[in-house]
Amino acid sequence: MSLTITPEQHQLRDTVRRFLAEQLPLSRVRDLAATPEVFNPQVWRRIANELGVQSLAVPAEHGGAGAGYQDLAYVFEECGRALFAGPLLATLGLALPVLLASGDEASQARHLPAIADGTTVATLAGLAPGGGWDSWGVDLEARPDGEGWRLTGTASIVLDALSANLILVVAGTGTASRVLAVDPDAGGVTRSAQPTLDQTRPLGLVRFDSAPAVAVGGPGDGGPLVATALDHFNVLLAAEMVGGSQACLDMAVGYAKIREQFGRPIGSFQAVKHKCAEIFVELEGARAAAYYAAWAADENPSELPVVATLARASAGEAYFRAAADNVQIHGGIGFTWEHDAHLYFKRAKASQLIFGDTGAHRRQLADRIGL
Amino acid sequence: VEDPVTNAGSTPSPIDYSPAAQAFRTEVAQWLVQHAPEELRGVRVSRDPVPELEAALAQWAHIMTEAGYMCVGWPREYGGRGLTGVEVAILNEEFARADLPRLTRGMGESLVGPAIIAHGTAAQKADFLPRITSGEHVYCQGFSEPGAGSDLASLRTTGTIDGDEIVINGQKIWTSNFSRANMIFTLCRTNPEAPKHRGISYVLVPTGRGERANGVEFRPITRMTGKAHFAETFFNDSRAPLTNVIGGLDNGWRVAMTTLGNERGGGATTQHLAFAEQFWRLVTEVRARGLIADPRVREQLAWAYSQVEVLRFTGLRLLADLAGGGSGAGLGNGSTSKVRWSEYERRLAEIAMDILGPDALVVGPDYELSYWQEEFLVTRSHTIWGGTAEVQRNIIGERILGLPKEPEPMATRDRVPA
Repeated sequence: MSLTITPEQHQLRDTVRRFLAEQLPLSRVRDLAATPEVFNPQVWRRIANELGVQSLAVPAEHGGAGAGYQDLAYVFEECGRALFAGPLLATLGLALPVLLASGDEASQARHLPAIADGTTVATLAGLAPGGGWDSWGVDLEARPDGEGWRLTGTASIVLDALSANLILVVAGTGTASRVLAVDPDAGGVTRSAQPTLDQTRPLGLVRFDSAPAVAVGGPGDGGPLVATALDHFNVLLAAEMVGGSQACLDMAVGYAKIREQFGRPIGSFQAVKHKCAEIFVELEGARAAAYYAAWAADENPSELPVVATLARASAGEAYFRAAADNVQIHGGIGFTWEHDAHLYFKRAKASQLIFGDTGAHRRQLADRIGL
Repeated sequence: VEDPVTNAGSTPSPIDYSPAAQAFRTEVAQWLVQHAPEELRGVRVSRDPVPELEAALAQWAHIMTEAGYMCVGWPREYGGRGLTGVEVAILNEEFARADLPRLTRGMGESLVGPAIIAHGTAAQKADFLPRITSGEHVYCQGFSEPGAGSDLASLRTTGTIDGDEIVINGQKIWTSNFSRANMIFTLCRTNPEAPKHRGISYVLVPTGRGERANGVEFRPITRMTGKAHFAETFFNDSRAPLTNVIGGLDNGWRVAMTTLGNERGGGATTQHLAFAEQFWRLVTEVRARGLIADPRVREQLAWAYSQVEVLRFTGLRLLADLAGGGSGAGLGNGSTSKVRWSEYERRLAEIAMDILGPDALVVGPDYELSYWQEEFLVTRSHTIWGGTAEVQRNIIGERILGLPKEPEPMATRDRVPA
């Protein structure tokens, strides 16, 4: 596979774009955002059955399409453009890479087919309440219990916590951290929504009280599996942010062409035109980085830790600028609840921050290139 | 499979090269193994000239010309090689891998040749093109004027017809490479009555020296670095045969504009290399000063690294499309790239000044500057020449995003300054 988009990928992207425009226009995203789960099971099943998105990066032997993250990146770009509200990022950007990287054949056989066909909505939990972005597993403790494990503690900022029916948890085991799979309906699990600044992306607090759990991977795998998951998460998030930036640029340019002040469209003023040009330059750079990172995820994994971090930081900056300038270019109307500009503005900042801000990613990048 | 000569295949490539392109790579790599001049390894010609290398560089240019590696983008019938952007990129990659300068014939190759090929007569092509390829004619550019910068079409230098000659009078500015040039391609106004874009001619003028003086005078301009690089150029009754007017009288604007577009993608995979080298030079500086553990410095360095990588990624994306038979449409353009690298380079030098700390404030005798002090000053010109950052943003806004043009004040439209 090269960096170029194939005709099949073009088609996939167009299909996803049309589907989201029809099934989840922003008016319905707003409706969903007003519910605790921010989850529409019918749309989720149709995305699995009609578009096959959940199966794209699942290997063929586990019922998937065996495509990869390049395909997914194009899908997530469309999700970002449409402000898609649903657990795709948690399932495919966090849980799936943990399962794939764990090398745990039993867990893969149990969970991957159900992810591929849309039955499973999965997420990854582990951040401590009140802890920072590096607090994975510090407030969670697992102890052996017969064949399995029992899990106790609390995880905060769990993406799609309420809609997930599979929660992978990073927990300490006394000596090392590991990943465990928990069925939230099997007892010992209490979930509550955390009201979010970006209402289109739900977060939850999950309490485990001696909840039954099954190990995924081996002891000491917690850190490496979280790192691998976040690399893949960052690739998809970068692609999503590129799509969001494009939506903001389109909104800003569209408005600048028709809004007239002083007898001419505001887009003819250099003050506004140059803002749009700057969004474009930064967006195109972020897009090139996101596509390259997705290519590396599939074709050159040794490069992934560097380019995923880089792509995510670049896209975060590009998206925030695009969303912020979009509000500014819209003037007063851009500051209102009714206008859609704030939905992107909030999504942009929430995306830029989740699991680490841009500065943290840059410092991580510095580590990873050997500075 | 790993190719022992080109090293291709050792790491996964994001570009699917055709078998013909791969064969071309092998050909270039093998030629370089056989002909590489050892004394030129590691030499960077983009920096100031090194007098002791002049002879070796001239010889290398001659060897490249004989082997058909000069003016490679021109069609074969005009002494070029008709290489596509992808092939030029491969050529650049292999020269970079061999750490040898890929010499060109400068503006003669990139600007004047393409203008003659597109707009010249058969006689002009036969007369001028071989002299560019051989290095006999070395060109500098006489476009900008003190009163015509971003608004180039308001230029005032005149060209008047005298028999079968054109006589040029006026002043140009920002002429680079004037000390090596023996020809200057210039724009002059030959029809003061016509609208400002329509009365301009594109002329190749011998600069003349000694007995062949042609009234062309270069006065070096000292830049803010204290060094001369550009010149002001004065034409005092400078003459050229009418056969040196390209594209016909009063048609020079079109000729000048077409020269700005040549084969795309040639620099796509090597444009970032000089920036990468410069980035690692700054890392060395930071380490030497014991600042590498400073989180703020680490963030700045990672930002800079990202910018250089983005240059690489955008290039790869363009080349992957071209290599796959695409047109490269929508994959960035000159303005986007110019804004990105020129503003990056400026910012990098600012970061470097912070890192130098007190040393940034002190220069050597005769205003001798350190590398980063020089970069800090020189890069201010990079967002000005070749279309200012503001003009580039207008181009992006209007041609890519489709935003409306700023209405021109009625009073100045089409008016040539008196």
